[in-house]
Amino acid sequence: MEIMRLVVTGPVGAGKSTFIRSVSEIAVVDTDRQATDETSLIKQKTTVAFDFGRLAFGPEMALHLYGTPGQSRFDFMWDILIQKAHAYILLVAAHRPREFVDARRIRAFMRQRSQVPMIIGLTHMDSPNAWDIENTAIALGYLNADKCPPIITVNPNEAASVAQAIITLVQHSMQNCLV
Amino acid sequence: MAINTEKLGIVLQNFVTATSDVQGAALVTPDGLPLAASLPGGMDEERVSAMSAAMLSLGERIGQELARGGVDRIYVEGDKGYGILTSCGEDAVLLVLADQKAKQGVLMLEIKRAVAEIKLILN
Ligand SMILES: Nc1nc2c(ncn2[C@@H]2O[C@H](COP(=O)(O)OP(=O)(O)OP(=O)(O)O)[C@@H](O)[C@H]2O)c(=O)[nH]1
Ligand SMILES: [Mg+2]
Repeated sequence: MEIMRLVVTGPVGAGKSTFIRSVSEIAVVDTDRQATDETSLIKQKTTVAFDFGRLAFGPEMALHLYGTPGQSRFDFMWDILIQKAHAYILLVAAHRPREFVDARRIRAFMRQRSQVPMIIGLTHMDSPNAWDIENTAIALGYLNADKCPPIITVNPNEAASVAQAIITLVQHSMQNCLV
Repeated sequence: MAINTEKLGIVLQNFVTATSDVQGAALVTPDGLPLAASLPGGMDEERVSAMSAAMLSLGERIGQELARGGVDRIYVEGDKGYGILTSCGEDAVLLVLADQKAKQGVLMLEIKRAVAEIKLILN
Protein backbone atom coordinates (compact mmCIF):
# COMPACT_ATOMS: atom_id res chain seq x y z
CA MET A 1 0.00 0.00 0.00
CA GLU A 2 1.41 3.31 -1.06
CA ILE A 3 1.09 6.26 1.27
CA MET A 4 0.66 9.79 0.06
CA ARG A 5 1.02 12.55 2.62
CA LEU A 6 -1.14 15.60 1.96
CA VAL A 7 -0.90 18.77 4.02
CA VAL A 8 -3.87 21.07 4.52
CA THR A 9 -2.73 24.55 5.40
CA GLY A 10 -4.10 28.11 5.46
CA PRO A 11 -4.98 30.93 7.85
CA VAL A 12 -7.04 30.61 11.03
CA GLY A 13 -10.60 29.54 10.43
CA ALA A 14 -10.13 28.68 6.76
CA GLY A 15 -11.54 25.24 7.57
CA LYS A 16 -8.48 22.97 7.74
CA SER A 17 -9.61 20.88 10.70
CA THR A 18 -13.17 20.71 9.37
CA PHE A 19 -11.86 19.61 5.95
CA ILE A 20 -10.01 16.66 7.43
CA ARG A 21 -12.82 15.72 9.79
CA SER A 22 -15.24 15.54 6.87
CA VAL A 23 -13.43 12.78 5.00
CA SER A 24 -11.22 10.88 7.41
CA GLU A 25 -12.03 7.20 7.80
CA ILE A 26 -10.41 7.06 11.21
CA ALA A 27 -11.26 9.13 14.26
CA VAL A 28 -9.31 12.31 13.58
CA VAL A 29 -6.41 13.09 15.85
CA ASP A 30 -6.98 16.72 16.64
CA THR A 31 -5.10 19.06 18.91
CA ASP A 32 -7.68 21.81 19.11
CA ARG A 33 -7.60 23.95 22.23
CA GLN A 34 -9.75 26.74 23.57
CA ALA A 35 -8.76 29.95 21.75
CA THR A 36 -7.88 32.89 23.97
CA ASP A 37 -6.72 35.39 21.34
CA GLU A 38 -8.51 37.17 18.42
CA THR A 39 -9.36 33.73 17.06
CA SER A 40 -12.05 33.42 19.71
CA LEU A 41 -14.03 36.07 17.82
CA ILE A 42 -14.39 33.64 14.90
CA LYS A 43 -14.60 30.33 16.70
CA GLN A 44 -14.00 28.66 20.05
CA LYS A 45 -11.18 26.28 19.32
CA THR A 46 -7.95 26.41 17.40
CA THR A 47 -5.36 23.84 16.32
CA VAL A 48 -2.09 23.98 18.27
CA ALA A 49 -0.08 21.07 16.79
CA PHE A 50 -1.79 19.27 13.91
CA ASP A 51 -4.83 17.34 12.74
CA PHE A 52 -4.38 13.88 11.35
CA GLY A 53 -6.81 11.83 9.31
CA ARG A 54 -6.63 8.94 6.87
CA LEU A 55 -8.48 8.08 3.72
CA ALA A 56 -8.21 5.16 1.25
CA PHE A 57 -7.70 6.28 -2.34
CA GLY A 58 -8.41 3.30 -4.52
CA PRO A 59 -7.16 -0.16 -3.51
CA GLU A 60 -3.48 0.74 -3.74
CA MET A 61 -3.12 4.05 -1.98
CA ALA A 62 -3.78 5.51 1.45
CA LEU A 63 -3.89 9.25 1.90
CA HIS A 64 -2.56 10.67 5.13
CA LEU A 65 -4.00 14.10 5.77
CA TYR A 66 -2.19 16.53 8.02
CA GLY A 67 -3.80 19.84 8.97
CA THR A 68 -1.52 22.62 10.18
CA PRO A 69 -2.27 25.26 12.80
CA GLY A 70 -3.28 28.60 11.26
CA GLN A 71 -1.52 31.00 13.59
CA SER A 72 2.00 32.00 12.66
CA ARG A 73 3.30 31.43 16.18
CA PHE A 74 3.05 27.75 15.28
CA ASP A 75 5.18 28.11 12.16
CA PHE A 76 7.59 25.46 13.52
CA MET A 77 4.72 23.01 12.95
CA TRP A 78 4.29 24.26 9.37
CA ASP A 79 7.96 23.50 8.89
CA ILE A 80 7.77 19.99 10.37
CA LEU A 81 4.66 19.05 8.41
CA ILE A 82 5.69 20.39 5.00
CA GLN A 83 9.03 18.57 5.07
CA LYS A 84 7.43 15.22 4.39
CA ALA A 85 4.45 16.30 2.33
CA HIS A 86 3.93 15.00 -1.20
CA ALA A 87 1.50 17.82 -2.01
CA TYR A 88 -0.54 20.42 -0.19
CA ILE A 89 -3.67 22.50 -0.40
CA LEU A 90 -3.79 26.08 0.83
CA LEU A 91 -7.27 26.84 2.12
CA VAL A 92 -8.32 30.48 2.06
CA ALA A 93 -11.57 31.88 3.46
CA ALA A 94 -12.83 33.87 0.46
CA HIS A 95 -15.05 36.10 2.58
CA ARG A 96 -12.28 37.43 4.83
CA PRO A 97 -10.03 39.39 2.45
CA ARG A 98 -8.12 40.82 5.37
CA GLU A 99 -6.61 37.38 5.85
CA PHE A 100 -5.34 37.06 2.30
CA VAL A 101 -2.06 38.51 3.50
CA ASP A 102 -1.76 35.64 5.99
CA ALA A 103 -2.40 33.14 3.21
CA ARG A 104 0.36 34.76 1.16
CA ARG A 105 2.72 34.55 4.11
CA ILE A 106 2.01 30.84 4.56
CA ARG A 107 2.47 30.26 0.83
CA ALA A 108 5.86 32.02 0.90
CA PHE A 109 6.91 30.02 3.96
CA MET A 110 6.00 26.72 2.31
CA ARG A 111 7.56 27.64 -1.02
CA GLN A 112 10.84 28.37 0.70
CA ARG A 113 10.92 24.88 2.16
CA SER A 114 9.25 22.69 -0.37
CA GLN A 115 8.67 22.53 -4.11
CA VAL A 116 5.94 19.90 -3.98
CA PRO A 117 2.76 20.52 -6.03
CA MET A 118 0.06 22.64 -4.45
CA ILE A 119 -3.42 23.89 -5.15
CA ILE A 120 -5.53 26.61 -3.56
CA GLY A 121 -8.98 25.91 -2.15
CA LEU A 122 -11.33 28.82 -1.55
CA THR A 123 -13.72 28.19 1.33
CA HIS A 124 -16.74 30.08 2.64
CA MET A 125 -17.91 30.63 -0.93
CA ASP A 126 -21.49 30.33 0.36
CA SER A 127 -21.03 33.59 2.23
CA PRO A 128 -22.52 36.67 0.54
CA ASN A 129 -19.23 38.50 1.11
CA ALA A 130 -17.10 35.90 -0.66
CA TRP A 131 -14.73 37.11 -3.36
CA ASP A 132 -14.74 35.26 -6.67
CA ILE A 133 -11.85 33.11 -7.87
CA GLU A 134 -10.45 35.67 -10.27
CA ASN A 135 -10.22 38.53 -7.82
CA THR A 136 -8.95 36.30 -5.05
CA ALA A 137 -6.18 35.01 -7.31
CA ILE A 138 -5.06 38.58 -7.97
CA ALA A 139 -5.28 39.46 -4.28
CA LEU A 140 -3.15 36.42 -3.49
CA GLY A 141 -0.49 37.77 -5.81
CA TYR A 142 -1.15 35.68 -8.93
CA LEU A 143 -1.26 38.43 -11.53
CA ASN A 144 -0.24 36.10 -14.30
CA ALA A 145 -2.70 33.27 -14.97
CA ASP A 146 0.07 31.05 -16.39
CA LYS A 147 1.95 30.98 -13.13
CA CYS A 148 -1.11 30.48 -10.98
CA PRO A 149 -1.62 27.11 -9.26
CA PRO A 150 -5.03 25.48 -9.74
CA ILE A 151 -7.67 27.30 -7.71
CA ILE A 152 -10.84 25.49 -6.72
CA THR A 153 -13.73 26.17 -4.41
CA VAL A 154 -14.48 23.79 -1.57
CA ASN A 155 -16.87 23.57 1.35
CA PRO A 156 -15.01 21.81 4.18
CA ASN A 157 -18.32 20.88 5.80
CA GLU A 158 -19.37 18.73 2.84
CA ALA A 159 -17.65 15.38 2.39
CA ALA A 160 -18.33 15.25 -1.36
CA SER A 161 -16.84 18.68 -1.89
CA VAL A 162 -13.75 17.80 0.15
CA ALA A 163 -13.37 14.51 -1.74
CA GLN A 164 -13.45 16.43 -5.03
CA ALA A 165 -10.76 18.81 -3.74
CA ILE A 166 -8.59 15.88 -2.73
CA ILE A 167 -8.97 14.23 -6.13
CA THR A 168 -7.92 17.48 -7.79
CA LEU A 169 -4.90 17.72 -5.52
CA VAL A 170 -3.81 14.12 -6.09
CA GLN A 171 -4.28 14.43 -9.86
CA HIS A 172 -2.39 17.69 -9.95
CA SER A 173 0.46 16.17 -8.01
CA MET A 174 0.62 13.12 -10.30
CA GLN A 175 0.66 15.30 -13.41
CA ASN A 176 3.54 17.22 -11.92
CA CYS A 177 5.44 14.03 -11.25
CA LEU A 178 5.19 12.98 -14.91
CA VAL A 179 6.63 16.15 -16.42
CA MET B 1 -11.24 36.41 33.31
CA ALA B 2 -8.76 38.82 34.87
CA ILE B 3 -5.54 37.01 35.56
CA ASN B 4 -3.01 38.72 37.76
CA THR B 5 -0.08 38.45 35.37
CA GLU B 6 2.10 40.69 37.47
CA LYS B 7 1.87 38.32 40.40
CA LEU B 8 2.47 35.34 38.14
CA GLY B 9 5.59 37.02 36.80
CA ILE B 10 6.92 37.50 40.31
CA VAL B 11 6.24 33.89 41.26
CA LEU B 12 8.05 32.65 38.16
CA GLN B 13 10.98 34.94 38.69
CA ASN B 14 11.33 33.85 42.30
CA PHE B 15 11.11 30.23 41.29
CA VAL B 16 13.85 30.63 38.69
CA THR B 17 16.23 32.50 40.96
CA ALA B 18 15.59 30.44 44.09
CA THR B 19 15.78 26.95 42.57
CA SER B 20 19.27 25.75 41.84
CA ASP B 21 19.99 24.60 38.29
CA VAL B 22 16.75 26.09 36.94
CA GLN B 23 17.49 28.35 34.00
CA GLY B 24 14.06 29.57 33.04
CA ALA B 25 10.33 29.12 33.26
CA ALA B 26 7.27 30.16 31.35
CA LEU B 27 3.56 29.97 32.01
CA VAL B 28 1.47 29.70 28.86
CA THR B 29 -2.15 29.22 27.84
CA PRO B 30 -3.16 25.88 26.28
CA ASP B 31 -3.44 27.65 22.91
CA GLY B 32 0.13 28.84 23.13
CA LEU B 33 0.15 32.41 24.38
CA PRO B 34 2.53 33.60 27.08
CA LEU B 35 0.97 34.51 30.45
CA ALA B 36 4.27 35.13 32.23
CA ALA B 37 7.86 34.20 31.55
CA SER B 38 11.34 34.35 32.96
CA LEU B 39 13.47 32.85 30.23
CA PRO B 40 17.18 32.79 29.42
CA GLY B 41 18.24 35.64 27.15
CA GLY B 42 17.80 34.96 23.46
CA MET B 43 14.81 32.71 23.90
CA ASP B 44 11.69 34.05 22.24
CA GLU B 45 8.72 34.05 24.60
CA GLU B 46 6.12 33.69 21.83
CA ARG B 47 7.87 30.77 20.22
CA VAL B 48 8.52 28.98 23.49
CA SER B 49 4.85 29.37 24.41
CA ALA B 50 3.58 28.00 21.11
CA MET B 51 5.96 25.04 21.32
CA SER B 52 4.91 24.28 24.87
CA ALA B 53 1.26 24.21 23.87
CA ALA B 54 1.93 22.01 20.85
CA MET B 55 3.97 19.58 22.90
CA LEU B 56 1.44 19.35 25.71
CA SER B 57 -1.47 18.82 23.33
CA LEU B 58 0.38 16.06 21.51
CA GLY B 59 1.49 14.50 24.78
CA GLU B 60 -2.09 14.49 26.02
CA ARG B 61 -3.22 12.92 22.79
CA ILE B 62 -0.55 10.25 23.02
CA GLY B 63 -1.47 9.58 26.65
CA GLN B 64 -5.06 9.08 25.56
CA GLU B 65 -4.29 7.01 22.46
CA LEU B 66 -1.90 4.71 24.32
CA ALA B 67 -4.22 4.42 27.32
CA ARG B 68 -1.86 6.18 29.74
CA GLY B 69 -4.63 8.35 31.14
CA GLY B 70 -4.40 12.05 31.86
CA VAL B 71 -0.97 13.55 31.40
CA ASP B 72 0.61 15.26 34.42
CA ARG B 73 3.98 16.00 32.94
CA ILE B 74 6.04 15.90 29.79
CA TYR B 75 9.70 15.49 30.03
CA VAL B 76 12.40 16.28 27.50
CA GLU B 77 15.90 15.22 28.44
CA GLY B 78 18.70 16.46 26.25
CA ASP B 79 22.46 16.31 26.78
CA LYS B 80 22.37 19.97 27.80
CA GLY B 81 19.51 19.75 30.25
CA TYR B 82 15.83 19.26 30.85
CA GLY B 83 12.60 20.79 29.63
CA ILE B 84 9.63 19.89 31.78
CA LEU B 85 6.03 20.74 31.03
CA THR B 86 3.49 20.50 33.80
CA SER B 87 -0.21 21.13 33.46
CA CYS B 88 -1.53 23.82 35.85
CA GLY B 89 -5.21 23.06 35.48
CA GLU B 90 -7.44 24.05 32.59
CA ASP B 91 -5.99 27.43 31.86
CA ALA B 92 -2.23 27.16 31.98
CA VAL B 93 0.86 25.08 31.39
CA LEU B 94 4.19 25.54 33.15
CA LEU B 95 7.43 25.05 31.27
CA VAL B 96 10.61 24.70 33.32
CA LEU B 97 14.11 24.64 31.83
CA ALA B 98 16.88 23.17 33.95
CA ASP B 99 20.50 22.35 33.25
CA GLN B 100 21.90 18.83 33.26
CA LYS B 101 23.22 19.12 36.83
CA ALA B 102 19.69 19.37 38.21
CA LYS B 103 18.64 16.66 40.63
CA GLN B 104 15.41 15.30 39.27
CA GLY B 105 13.74 14.54 42.60
CA VAL B 106 14.40 17.99 44.00
CA LEU B 107 13.34 19.61 40.76
CA MET B 108 10.02 17.76 40.74
CA LEU B 109 9.30 18.82 44.30
CA GLU B 110 10.09 22.43 43.54
CA ILE B 111 7.90 22.34 40.46
CA LYS B 112 5.05 20.87 42.45
CA ARG B 113 5.32 23.73 44.92
CA ALA B 114 5.43 26.33 42.17
CA VAL B 115 2.40 24.79 40.46
CA ALA B 116 0.41 24.93 43.70
CA GLU B 117 1.29 28.59 44.09
CA ILE B 118 0.40 29.39 40.48
CA LYS B 119 -2.93 27.60 40.75
CA LEU B 120 -3.84 29.78 43.73
CA ILE B 121 -3.28 32.90 41.66
CA LEU B 122 -5.14 31.55 38.65
CA ASN B 123 -8.27 30.66 40.61
N1 LIG C 1 -20.62 27.98 5.76
C1 LIG C 1 -19.36 27.57 5.67
N2 LIG C 1 -18.67 27.38 6.79
C2 LIG C 1 -17.38 26.99 6.68
C3 LIG C 1 -16.78 26.78 5.41
N3 LIG C 1 -15.50 26.41 5.62
C4 LIG C 1 -15.30 26.38 6.95
N4 LIG C 1 -16.44 26.73 7.59
C5 LIG C 1 -16.61 26.85 9.05
O1 LIG C 1 -15.55 27.63 9.53
C6 LIG C 1 -15.01 27.06 10.72
C7 LIG C 1 -13.58 26.61 10.46
O2 LIG C 1 -13.07 26.03 11.60
P1 LIG C 1 -11.80 25.04 11.60
O3 LIG C 1 -12.00 23.92 10.65
O4 LIG C 1 -11.53 24.75 13.02
O5 LIG C 1 -10.70 26.01 11.01
P2 LIG C 1 -9.14 25.78 10.95
O6 LIG C 1 -8.72 26.23 9.60
O7 LIG C 1 -8.79 24.41 11.35
O8 LIG C 1 -8.62 26.87 12.01
P3 LIG C 1 -7.31 26.89 12.97
O9 LIG C 1 -7.01 25.50 13.41
O10 LIG C 1 -7.72 27.78 14.11
O11 LIG C 1 -6.23 27.53 12.16
C8 LIG C 1 -15.91 25.89 11.08
O12 LIG C 1 -16.90 26.36 11.95
C9 LIG C 1 -16.50 25.50 9.74
O13 LIG C 1 -17.78 24.90 9.86
C10 LIG C 1 -17.57 26.99 4.22
O14 LIG C 1 -17.13 26.84 3.07
N5 LIG C 1 -18.85 27.40 4.42
MG1 LIG D 1 -7.63 23.70 12.82
